[in-house]
Amino acid sequence: MAKIVILGAGIAGHTAAAHLRRKLNKTHEVLVVSPNSNYQWVPSNIWVGIGKMTSKDIIFPLKPLYKKKGIGFKQAKVMSFYPEGSNQLIKPHVKVEYVTGEREGTEELVDYDYLINATGPKLAFDLTPGLIPGIHNTYSVCTFGHATEAWKALKELIATVKKTGENAKIIIGTGHAKSTCQGAAFEYILNVEKVINDSGLRDKFEITWLSNEYDLGDFGMDGMLLKYGRKNISSAEMVKSVFEDRGIKWITKSGVNKIEKGVAFYENLAGERKEAHFDFAMLIPAFSGHGFKSYDKAGQENTSKLFKGFMLVDADYSSKPYEEWTAQDWPETYQNPSYDNIFAPGIAFAPPHSISRPRKNEAGTEIYPAPPRTGMPSGITAKLVADNIIDQIKNNNKNLSHKGSMANMGAACIASAGYGAFSGSGVSITTFPIVPDYKKYPKTQGRKLGKTFGDIGLAGHWLKLTLHYAFLYKAKMKPFWWIIPE
Amino acid sequence: MKFTKLNKFTMKNPLIQVFKFVYLSVKIMFVVALGHGSTRN
Ligand SMILES: Cc1cc2nc3c(=O)[nH]c(=O)nc-3n(C[C@H](O)[C@H](O)[C@H](O)COP(=O)(O)OP(=O)(O)OC[C@H]3O[C@@H](n4cnc5c(N)ncnc54)[C@H](O)[C@@H]3O)c2cc1C
Repeated sequence: MAKIVILGAGIAGHTAAAHLRRKLNKTHEVLVVSPNSNYQWVPSNIWVGIGKMTSKDIIFPLKPLYKKKGIGFKQAKVMSFYPEGSNQLIKPHVKVEYVTGEREGTEELVDYDYLINATGPKLAFDLTPGLIPGIHNTYSVCTFGHATEAWKALKELIATVKKTGENAKIIIGTGHAKSTCQGAAFEYILNVEKVINDSGLRDKFEITWLSNEYDLGDFGMDGMLLKYGRKNISSAEMVKSVFEDRGIKWITKSGVNKIEKGVAFYENLAGERKEAHFDFAMLIPAFSGHGFKSYDKAGQENTSKLFKGFMLVDADYSSKPYEEWTAQDWPETYQNPSYDNIFAPGIAFAPPHSISRPRKNEAGTEIYPAPPRTGMPSGITAKLVADNIIDQIKNNNKNLSHKGSMANMGAACIASAGYGAFSGSGVSITTFPIVPDYKKYPKTQGRKLGKTFGDIGLAGHWLKLTLHYAFLYKAKMKPFWWIIPE
Repeated sequence: MKFTKLNKFTMKNPLIQVFKFVYLSVKIMFVVALGHGSTRN
C-alpha cells in the first residue's frame, strides 16, 4: 500500500492531494505537510489589497477538510530531503519541523513511497535591500496578510490626501530586476487606480508602473501578439492603451535594487541609475527556491541532484542562447531525473530558462522577468503528477502517460481592472501556448492567434469573480468539485 | 490604439457585457480545457 507525501498546500499541493484522495482507495495514504493552516485563493489577494474582500472571503482552514476527506495533515515545514533513506530510517524520507501547537519546533522524519514537492516559491524580499512589506512605505499583496496590510496603508494615505489636500505618489510593479508575477502587479495598479478614482481624488495622485519588463505587456512571457476584436495587436499596445486611458505613467526596463523610506533606487537597461519617490508602493519581490538541502544514504550532501534553486525536473537545463531555446526545453512530467518517485508541480519546479528574452546593461546587470507559473498551470501540472502516480499505483504503469508542457498548454489570465458589480472591469487574456513555440507558430510570435486573444470590459470582472467562487468551491472539495477544470 | 467613446460604451454596457460574459466563458474553456500535452513527439 502506497504512501504519498505532498509538501505544500497551495494551489499545486492541494490540487494533487484532492485528486489523489478521490481516485485512490483508503488503503493508500495521502499526507500533506505544510506550514499554513489555511488554504488561500491567492489571485483574490488583489481585492483584499483594495478592501473589497477580507481574508475570510479567500481562505478556509485545511485541517477539518482534510480530516473529513481522509487526507493526513501535518502543520509543519520540510527542512531537508533524504531520497535514498538515511542511517536513521531506511525508506526515503524528508525531515520536517512542526510550526505550531505542542510540537512546535520539534522535528520528525516522514517517509514516503512518492513525494510531491509543491512548496512554491520563497518570497525573496531579502534580495532587495529595504524591500520589507509594511516598512519604508512598501507593501505586498503576495499573501492575504500582506494584502490586508497594504489596504490599511492605502486607505490611510487616501484619508490623509483628502484631509490635507496634498498630492501623493504611488508606485506599483516589480521590486527586483528579475521579479516575476507582473500580472498580479498589473491587476493591483488598475484596482488601486479605480479605488482612488472612486474617492474623487484622482487628480491628487500620480500613479506609476515600474517594471523590469522590456516593454509593457511582457508579463514575463515575452509579450504576445493577440487577437483583439477584429484586430491583431501586441500585448504592449493593449496595456499602453489601458494605462493611457487611466492616466497611469510607466517606467520599464528597470530593476529596483534598493528601497529606502519612500524611495526606490533602480537601474535600467541603458545603464542609468535613478530614483523613484513614493508615498505608497506595492512591489513584487523576486521569487527564489527555499534553499532546501538533500543528502544521500551515506549522509553526504547531494542537493545538486534535487535542486537548482527550485527542484530539478525533466527539463533541458543545458545553457544556450535565447535564439536556441525550444519548446522542448520545457518539462512535461515534472519528475526528478535522479529519483523517479519525486515530482515538482506548480512553482516548485526549476524552469529551464526564462520565457522573456534575457537582457543586461553594460554594467552586466540582468534586467528581465523570471518566468511566471500561474495558478492554472500549477493546478494542471499538479493533477497530471497525481494521475501519473495513480497510474503507477493502480496499474503498475510507469510510463508517465500524462504529460503537460507549458509549451503545449493554454492559459487564461483574467486580470481584474477594477471591482464593482456594474462599474468593474477586467482584462481577459488567453494565450496558447504559455511558452511560445516559435517553430510551430513562426509568424505570430510563437503563439496561435485566436486562441491567444484579449478583451477588456465589465464581463472580465464578472469572470474573475465567477472564478473566485468556482475555485474556492473546488478547493473545498464540495460535491462534483472535480468537474471544474484546473 | 486609443479607446473610442463607442469602445468604452461597449466595455461598460451591462447588456452587451452579459453576452460577452457567455462568449468569453465558452471561448476560455475552449482554450484552456481542450487539453495539454507533450511537445517532444
Ligand atoms: C497577488 C497574486 C495574484 C495572482 N493572481 C493570479 C491570477 O489571477 N491567476 C493565476 O492563474 N495566477 C495568479 N497568481 C499566481 C498563483 O497564485 C500561483 O501561480 C500559485 O499560487 C502557485 O501555486 P503553488 O502551489 O505552486 O505555490 P504556492 O501557492 O506558493 O503554494 C506553496 C505552498 O507550499 C507551502 N510551503 C512553503 N514552504 C514550505 C516548506 N518548507 N514545507 C512545506 N510546505 C511549504 C506554502 O505554505 C504553500 O502552502 C497570483 C499570484 C499572486 C501573488
